[in-house]
Amino acid sequence: MGQEVAIVGIGRIPCEAKIGSKSLNEIIFQVTRAALDDAGIEREAVDNVVLAASDQLDGRAICSMVLACPAGAYLKDEIKVCQDGSTAVAMAYMRLASNVYDVSLVVSWTKCSETPVLQVTNLSCEPFFNRPIGLNYISTAALQAGVYTNSFGVTPEDAAKVIIKNRANGAKNPLSHLKQPVTADEIKNSPLVAWPLRRIDLPPESDSACALVLVSSNHVRKIGRSPVWISGIGWATDTYYLGSRNLNHIESLRGAAKMAYRMAGINDPRKEIGLIEIQEITAYHELINYEALGLCNAGEGKCLIEQGVTLRDGDLPVNLSGGALCSNPVFCGGLIGVAEAAMQIRGEAGNQANRKIRTALAHGTYGFCGQGNTVIILKGQ
Amino acid sequence: MEKKEMIEIPGEWNIHYNYAAGKITSKFLITLRDEGKIMATKCDKCGLVILPPRSYCERCFVRVYNLVEVGNEGTLTCFSIIYEPFPGLPKPPYVIGYVKLDGADTSMVNFVDGVDLSDLSSALKKLKVGAGVKVIYKEERVGRVTDFSYRLIS
Amino acid sequence: MLRNVAVIGVGQSNFKYYRPDSTLVELAQEATHLAVKDGKISLDDIEAVVVGVAPTALFGIDAVERWFVGAVGGRNKPFLRVNTGGATGGSAFQAGYFHVASGIFDLVMVAGAEKVGESPDTQFILNQIWEPAWERDFALNAINMCAFQAVRHMHRYKTTMEDFARVSVRCHANALLNPHAHIRKAVTTEEVLSSRVICWPITLLGACPRSSGGCAVILASERKAKELSTRPAWVTGVQECTNTVFMGDKMDMPFNDHADFDDLAIATKRAYDMAGIDLPIKQIDVAEIYGPFSNMEIAAVEALGFCPKGKGAQMEKDGAFQLNGELPVNPSGGVLCTNPISITALVRVAEAALQVMQKAEARQVKNVKRAVATGMGGSLQIHTCTILSDEPR
Repeated sequence: MGQEVAIVGIGRIPCEAKIGSKSLNEIIFQVTRAALDDAGIEREAVDNVVLAASDQLDGRAICSMVLACPAGAYLKDEIKVCQDGSTAVAMAYMRLASNVYDVSLVVSWTKCSETPVLQVTNLSCEPFFNRPIGLNYISTAALQAGVYTNSFGVTPEDAAKVIIKNRANGAKNPLSHLKQPVTADEIKNSPLVAWPLRRIDLPPESDSACALVLVSSNHVRKIGRSPVWISGIGWATDTYYLGSRNLNHIESLRGAAKMAYRMAGINDPRKEIGLIEIQEITAYHELINYEALGLCNAGEGKCLIEQGVTLRDGDLPVNLSGGALCSNPVFCGGLIGVAEAAMQIRGEAGNQANRKIRTALAHGTYGFCGQGNTVIILKGQ
Repeated sequence: MEKKEMIEIPGEWNIHYNYAAGKITSKFLITLRDEGKIMATKCDKCGLVILPPRSYCERCFVRVYNLVEVGNEGTLTCFSIIYEPFPGLPKPPYVIGYVKLDGADTSMVNFVDGVDLSDLSSALKKLKVGAGVKVIYKEERVGRVTDFSYRLIS
Repeated sequence: MLRNVAVIGVGQSNFKYYRPDSTLVELAQEATHLAVKDGKISLDDIEAVVVGVAPTALFGIDAVERWFVGAVGGRNKPFLRVNTGGATGGSAFQAGYFHVASGIFDLVMVAGAEKVGESPDTQFILNQIWEPAWERDFALNAINMCAFQAVRHMHRYKTTMEDFARVSVRCHANALLNPHAHIRKAVTTEEVLSSRVICWPITLLGACPRSSGGCAVILASERKAKELSTRPAWVTGVQECTNTVFMGDKMDMPFNDHADFDDLAIATKRAYDMAGIDLPIKQIDVAEIYGPFSNMEIAAVEALGFCPKGKGAQMEKDGAFQLNGELPVNPSGGVLCTNPISITALVRVAEAALQVMQKAEARQVKNVKRAVATGMGGSLQIHTCTILSDEPR
């Protein structure tokens, strides 16, 4: 394999319902500046920039035109990927591993407060078969949740355990959007949005941005601090047509995880990974994702949470940040997941794990019913 | 001979956005609206006076805090005359131009009004890079960049 | 040490204005199958896919690449989409290069398609690329931003509309030899100059068409390229440079003026360094340049270092860029004759690769060892430069 790659700088701002006092350019500049400051470098030291953003979510027909320079790209080699922020990490990894570049900025963002997110996701439907039926991120997530619960006898009470866990975690994370824990009664009383999904099974819509500085191994001692190594990357995208997939599992996440595990030399993820940050589309999807990540057999995701494995004090805590159920700036959620996992390894996370984390997994997803997924494995020194 | 029937499905996007302008842009638009002045930002590190104003310098990559007023006259650095109608855009012909206002280091785009476009070659005698230009503020301003336009100084 | 990466297969549609017989993804599928056939591999051999599609507003489908997956053989494979506006094809190719150069993949498909004929509102959509507070109100679009470049170049270097017209005459003549080109009709200088003015000084025959079709390119590692191809096109340099969106920052400036493509020059210098090129006029044998408006080819040849700034028009006049000239430019007919926006920059790379692989048929330039392909996007601000060679680095 080529050069190894490490994260040596992290730039964050809180996730909020609406960052009204700053333009999108300004929050992008803010996190990019923060990442450079964390790494102790100026823009001159950077030799390439990878962005992840959506034109339609940003309301700018080629958003990188206006947003590349706030992300530090002025006269640099810059590229924009259109999967989520975690995929930008995979792209930057390849650029650094090739030996062509050494110091990369990876930046992603979304300001949900400025955009009709639900409507935009309906517009990702082709106009012949799917758009007229009004499919969007909620209705499709509901379709999948319905198939999954039906296939394996998963109940709303199982989903409730995920919500209670994540919301309690988010309450301890100063960067989280939703900061209030929830009770089982609040969950019971939450209105049905699209069966079987209640409002509370769904993530909020948030504003945020995130930036990382990545370097190749021969620059790790020269730049940045507290390097967190990227030991594995994997990504895959399934077919667009939901009817051609078996929705009771997420095939592309299985494939992405396999690729990442192989690269990282992980044979038993349950034992070898210390912490996971998942972008759960709904509470049910966190359970589906446990299975796709190979942590348990099909349909047994609920057992992991029942047995306390993925709770804060469990053997394999999932979403100590609060996950997407607390913070969902759609496009950059996956990059925030990578940042949160890296912060855990550094020992600097808001809701820090209660034991040392040596290996962590971060996940990002895009498209309906987890059509596409990215997995990043991180390792401490 | 039978022609194959091909179906076309009509569609339309009607997406409404509300873009937060941020403090600096808001200050620019409010000052333009209420005081009839144009404010630029000045980077402390490189000293460039930048229009349109931005809260950070893209080159130095530092925050920019200082707003400075620029003059109401300047030079035309670039222009084009638009003849082709485009859906959703103004009715041609019209002129858009970049002007470097006195005191600014970069140019800002706006409509260049009052140019007689009835004869192209005569118009091109007046519309030249380097021509003197002045800012005309609208009587009724609403806080959009179209609250002012440019006019050639004849 | 950089790993060697090569192009081993190319596929492209015969471009037309409108393709009512196919959906957007079927156009990509068409090109994918042509590329796979050309590369003598099967779709299953492809390990990862990069799709390049530019503003999806033009197709009216957001995140349209998700629809592409099955059509380009990408199901459950590593798949990603790149979008850098008009430079998308060049950036997608660059992304594909990094997939292989990283050592992770051996065979990667880069594909895309364009279907411009389905919306009459192209320029309205391209008005939405600008900053909402500062630039949208002025009907900035993709045409007038290029007109501004022409005005600045005319001011700085006394270039004339006749100079621009010559570029158009050359490209239209070349397209007659390219079965894939969209517009295949010769024009004269007089016809170009007397055609309708769109945005002064750009006239209709000095402007690109809007084209529909697909393009795909297959990239291979050194091991695979040597196994599968007798004459691959080795990627010896591939770089990009992004400039500010604010064209006003580039008006009347000593460096980085809107007249010039100093940003393309930066990307080019980096690519030349990667490829070990220091005398491009002698070492480059053919160029496929991204120039949707004739004025842009002149600034581009200057940025590529074929001549000093301001001398591009004279070189054109002297015939240096003709098919039988010193350094043929756009033997394919270029963007002036075919512009499938999302993939135009990929088609430039495909055409450059065909030249190196000696598969360019009637438009083949003799003795091509090295070719350069450029891409451009945004407010003339996003530039890619790719160097292909008949030898690995």
